[in-house]
Amino acid sequence: MERRDFIKGLLIGSLAAGISPRLLAQSSYPELAVITGESPEKITRSAVELLGGMKHFIGRGDKVIIKPNIGWDRTPEMAACTNPEIVKTVVAMALEAGAKEVIVMDHTINQEKRCYIRSGIQEAARVAGAKVLFPEDQRLKKVNLKGEWLKDWEVYADFLEADKIINLPATKVHSLSKVTLGLKNWLGAIGGSRNQLHQKIDEAMVDLAAFFKPTLTILDSYRILFRNGPQGGRISDTKLLKTVVAGTDPVAIDAYGATLFDFKPQELLFLQLASARGLGKLELEKVRIEKRTV
Amino acid sequence: MKRERSKKYRRLQKLRILSQLVFFVLFFFLFIKTHYGGADYLTITVERYFHFDPLLALTTTIGSRLFFAAFWLSLITLVFTLVFGRVVCGWICPFGTVHQFFSFLFKKTRWLKPKRDDRLSLAPKYLILIIVLVASILTVNLAGYLDPLSFLYRSFAVYFTPLLNLVFSESANLAYVSGLKSLGQTLGQTLGNLALNSFFQNALVIGLLFFAAIALNAWKERFWCRYVCPAGALLGLFSRFNVFKLRIDPEKCINCHLCSIQCQTNARPYPIGEWRSSECIYCETCAAICPTAAITFPLRWQAEKIQGVNLSRRKMLLTSLTTLLVAPIFKITPHRQRAYPALIRPPGALPEEKFLDKCIKCGECLKVCPTNGLQPALTEAGPEGLWTPVLVPRIGYCEYYCSLCSQVCPTGAIKELTIEEKTTVKIGTALVNKNRCLPYALGEQCIVCEEHCPVSPKAIQLIKVETLTPEGKIATNLAPFVNVNDCIGCGICENKCVVVDEPAIRVSSIGEARSEKNRLLLQVNEPGDNQP
Repeated sequence: MERRDFIKGLLIGSLAAGISPRLLAQSSYPELAVITGESPEKITRSAVELLGGMKHFIGRGDKVIIKPNIGWDRTPEMAACTNPEIVKTVVAMALEAGAKEVIVMDHTINQEKRCYIRSGIQEAARVAGAKVLFPEDQRLKKVNLKGEWLKDWEVYADFLEADKIINLPATKVHSLSKVTLGLKNWLGAIGGSRNQLHQKIDEAMVDLAAFFKPTLTILDSYRILFRNGPQGGRISDTKLLKTVVAGTDPVAIDAYGATLFDFKPQELLFLQLASARGLGKLELEKVRIEKRTV
Repeated sequence: MKRERSKKYRRLQKLRILSQLVFFVLFFFLFIKTHYGGADYLTITVERYFHFDPLLALTTTIGSRLFFAAFWLSLITLVFTLVFGRVVCGWICPFGTVHQFFSFLFKKTRWLKPKRDDRLSLAPKYLILIIVLVASILTVNLAGYLDPLSFLYRSFAVYFTPLLNLVFSESANLAYVSGLKSLGQTLGQTLGNLALNSFFQNALVIGLLFFAAIALNAWKERFWCRYVCPAGALLGLFSRFNVFKLRIDPEKCINCHLCSIQCQTNARPYPIGEWRSSECIYCETCAAICPTAAITFPLRWQAEKIQGVNLSRRKMLLTSLTTLLVAPIFKITPHRQRAYPALIRPPGALPEEKFLDKCIKCGECLKVCPTNGLQPALTEAGPEGLWTPVLVPRIGYCEYYCSLCSQVCPTGAIKELTIEEKTTVKIGTALVNKNRCLPYALGEQCIVCEEHCPVSPKAIQLIKVETLTPEGKIATNLAPFVNVNDCIGCGICENKCVVVDEPAIRVSSIGEARSEKNRLLLQVNEPGDNQP
């Protein structure tokens, strides 16, 4: 009996050692993990697991910055900001993967402290061990974005100094870009006269997406805002989908997010521009998507 | 004879300094705490100080013909003063502490050299009190400009807060530049947490007046308390019994005059029998400084007469009559006849006349406003409304889920609102200026105001507009259209408009809920009519 157990253990051990996640990475991981389920934490965790686990993206000692949407002075059930539970989970996962420091920050639209507190994100991220920072004017640096439209623009140094960036957008409609998902989330990483970007919002989004290259994007579609975007105001403006969409292709993620509002990705100008710029895949037929319910 | 100062009164003097320190630090702490701290409702705020102030209680009650319940607390101050004299001025008043501190400094630097027989009349503050009281009968509210708590808080809010903001942001800058990242971050994050407002119109005048009030201490000790303060004058009138009576032991007294020279309020402890009990603030300086410990304050229950203040009936009568004639000047203004567009009051503000009767210009609402949008008025509210709060959307807008200004108002000029109530209060209306709006005037795309509108459904709806360009092309864009019945006038649209100098969408006071006259559309939809 004992010997049999020993051999069994040996077999399992050698199997586990032989097949490292790295080996499987290129071939069997999906490009997009779409997970649905009751618990925001569980769906987030299993989405990242499906992509190969957080260790696949975050190395030991990395300085990580997580960019949720904390734009508005709205409580979580209004779906104007990223779900705090999801932010908390991602912070915890980054730290578990060995990150040295995790910063959570966003350049808010309403008064920053109100947004940080009432969105529930400050508290949730702190509990998980993140440094939650208000954006500071002193930290704005003018950099050349090398975009097609945007050249010199002010960016918060915290984003420039990080080793890894994780984008954590909310899922909402918008009157100009139709939807606001991952690409538009970068407007919260910059300073300057952001409102002028609306004069060519699609070009601006693509220029910013070409500059900020996230290691990982997790789209929070737990509760989506389908009316009165981008801040809503009533629970009836929102819809519970209990889903997250994770991946490394920012264009594919936004393309998938658009379909949640019954838009065809091809209808959206910013997605066309982004895909033409080579930032990712727009045609969802060509993307390896894996859907799961947990 | 043995020369020795009184140990007991030196201890008492130290106790008084400690008391002053405690009440000042508490005032300052509560001042700093007057901001969004993370909860929707504030618990303890500095407004309590104001509630103990009988001058404010009296003038706002007379002026508005309404009694604000919290002012019952001021009776405590009155009864206390009736029995013990002006202890409040000497031991508690934070503005008195400021004056005494600077008097002390100026004495040390020899800028202030107290005279032996100072004859300057102490009557002006009583006349100022008469002016303030008579004016309040005519519903002209002047108390707030000269009340010590209002004066101090306003100066702190309008001048000191931005200064503190500057200190924090500049030292954060310096720390970052010198490579001290964690120090810079600590400073920068503290700034974010304290939410210190950085811009105020009229800061120059309010700040200079504050410095003038302090600088005058180099001429006379506690200048403000001696000659100006109407609240002190009121307490002086009430200090009837002064049960602890000054007594000089003639056996011990060496006629050095030191007590009268060093008396903070010129209450003349010496010569014997000239003690002005209504001026005495029980600072214990005289008893502590007396080289032979000749001065004591024994307990004796006997009413005192006001003496040593040259306050003739004629002067009082003339002052009252002059005020009766002059005060109405404040009312001769077209502001009373017609609403003024820039006069956007905070949500919960009473109808304008009642508001003016109650507002003491203390600046608590200016301090607590999270967007810095509430500003001290200059001309917006007419002469009576100088330094009353107005919302200036170009500086800051009214946060949708915030009712802090209504919570901190010490007099009820801004009625306390819950968050739910506040989101329904209309303070003005936004209207688009098509000549400046990008889609209308330039054929460019922009939906910034619509995006920011906080009400649901949005008060700013988008319509398609066509603009003919010089090239003969037609530019079709989405452009803002204001549903005036849904608009609450918060001003975020104006604040965020990309036409920064003269925004293409402006909020004015029209449609404000508190006025029955300042209305726009005759037919008002029932709330919910536009619900999809």
